[in-house]
Amino acid sequence: MTAASSVAPNRTRSRLAAIREAAPHPTRWRHVVGYMVTVYRREWQGSVFSGFIEPLVVLAGLGIGLGVLVGDKAAEITGGVSYVAYIAPALMVSSAMNLATSEAAWPILARVAWVRIYHAMVATPLNAADVMVGAITFIVGKVAFAAAFFAGVLLVTGIATSPTGALGMIAVSVLTAFAFGAPMAAFSVTQKSDQGFAFLFRLIITPLGFFSGTYFPIENLPFAAQVLSWFTPLAHGVALSRSMALGTPVTYVWFHVGALLLWGIVGTVVAIYLFRKRMLK
Amino acid sequence: MGMTNSASEPTALIRAQGLTKVFGARSAVDGIDFEVRDGEFFGFLGPNGAGKTTTMRMIAGVSPRSAGTLEIFDMDPDLHGSEIRGQIGVVHQQETLDMELTVLENLLVFGRFFGMDRASIATRAAELLELFQLSDRAKDQVEPLSGGMKRRLSIARSLIASPRILMLDEPTTGLDPQARHLLWDALQRLKRGGTTIVLTTHYMDEAEQLCDRLVVMDQAKIVAEGSPRQLIVEHASREVLELRFPNGTESIDTKVLEGIGDRYERLAERVIVGCENGEAAHARALEHGLDPESWLVRRSSLEDVFLRLTGRTLDE
Repeated sequence: MTAASSVAPNRTRSRLAAIREAAPHPTRWRHVVGYMVTVYRREWQGSVFSGFIEPLVVLAGLGIGLGVLVGDKAAEITGGVSYVAYIAPALMVSSAMNLATSEAAWPILARVAWVRIYHAMVATPLNAADVMVGAITFIVGKVAFAAAFFAGVLLVTGIATSPTGALGMIAVSVLTAFAFGAPMAAFSVTQKSDQGFAFLFRLIITPLGFFSGTYFPIENLPFAAQVLSWFTPLAHGVALSRSMALGTPVTYVWFHVGALLLWGIVGTVVAIYLFRKRMLK
Repeated sequence: MGMTNSASEPTALIRAQGLTKVFGARSAVDGIDFEVRDGEFFGFLGPNGAGKTTTMRMIAGVSPRSAGTLEIFDMDPDLHGSEIRGQIGVVHQQETLDMELTVLENLLVFGRFFGMDRASIATRAAELLELFQLSDRAKDQVEPLSGGMKRRLSIARSLIASPRILMLDEPTTGLDPQARHLLWDALQRLKRGGTTIVLTTHYMDEAEQLCDRLVVMDQAKIVAEGSPRQLIVEHASREVLELRFPNGTESIDTKVLEGIGDRYERLAERVIVGCENGEAAHARALEHGLDPESWLVRRSSLEDVFLRLTGRTLDE
């Protein structure tokens, strides 16, 4: 074999090897999930309120309290269902958003910048991509648990009408968690302190909770705000979740699902890229 | 992998040639060559910012090199990083433990990252806790442990998958003397057990005590290489006379200093004279009319080698 002919395949082979080095491994990321589960078993009491109880408190407060205030007018905007039944599926996805974003904020920043265990993790056979995929998977899984609990309560109280609908709502919450958790992880891995989080939560996450069709139909917003809403993930999650709960047909299902998936996938890719940049200097 | 080495030439586990790392316009590591052989205790000695940590990161496969060749276990870390990292244990300068988990949990979780099964992790973890005298703290949370214990746990954790190479970045910085000696003992036991150890340090006594071979790094380059003894013989005189002048050394005549011993270094408040016989050099100093506040004669150390090579002490 001449020198010229042996160089080309070698170069291709090493380029492939370099890509394999940077890409997530098909299974290694599950050890990162396993690690987070170990951590969670130690400190689950701390997050039970925010993840499980708080959404129910909000639902009870707003659904019953505000429901009385809205009274008969509710039917006009909800299309005939009670106000509590109208906001419950939306609250479920907005609490999925809250849980996913906060889980992708401090716990990730801490492991990058404070306790720095991610630095130890990328020095094992795991690579940066495995760590990010594992971290995001854990967040989505944790939200799935909280969503299942919430859906269970809705079924028992009769707010959700069918088990199929409840399962559909859980799936939507999982998608929403992915759509928020991944981009949030991408933001967190670039931060040096948690000051950026206060800004992000006050200016983006909290307002989204109000303007994505959670408490009133998105059509009540000015047109520009409506358009803006559809560029964020929550509105898509709310639209899907509500139709699952009420059994009403939803138009453009794949548009909503696609938007949530796109946020999640792009967020994951960007998170991997930025995390590599931070860790592999 | 090619293991066709004769007995006189032990296998090199790490081979670097022209190894370079550039950050923007600054070279952190500037074309260094070195080899770490199977079973040896190898040191990178140098002041902060000399490029030691960056070199360690390149070896550990977490910092892509800018130029040069680097082979670990005959593999390129850019292409086989995961495989290489599976056989290297890394202890970072700053603690990277999970403070919320217990001592034992930190080990169990870490073993999984190396793909070990739970049973072998448990066996190995028990061994390591014993070796590092942490068995009675196994069920305790990490956060309240002392600095020395945390450092021992970090090392135990890095050894969970029985790596061929253990890499330690400034392992005793911030530890009290007793914790330091405990750690040195543990490292020497590991070495006797066949583990190849690579460490960085800016402590001369640590390098002298532990290393079979070391390279001295200064300003991104290797300025000397050898065993501690070799380096001292090559770069320092047999004895050292230290003269102390609390009021400063600027006013002392260079001619006088040149006449005392083989060579000298003038520091802010000390003159360090390399010589064959310290007592005789001291007598000559007095003859030349020097009046130091105090003086001492000692054997040359790595500190003198470093001073000789760079013109600076390590603390400067």
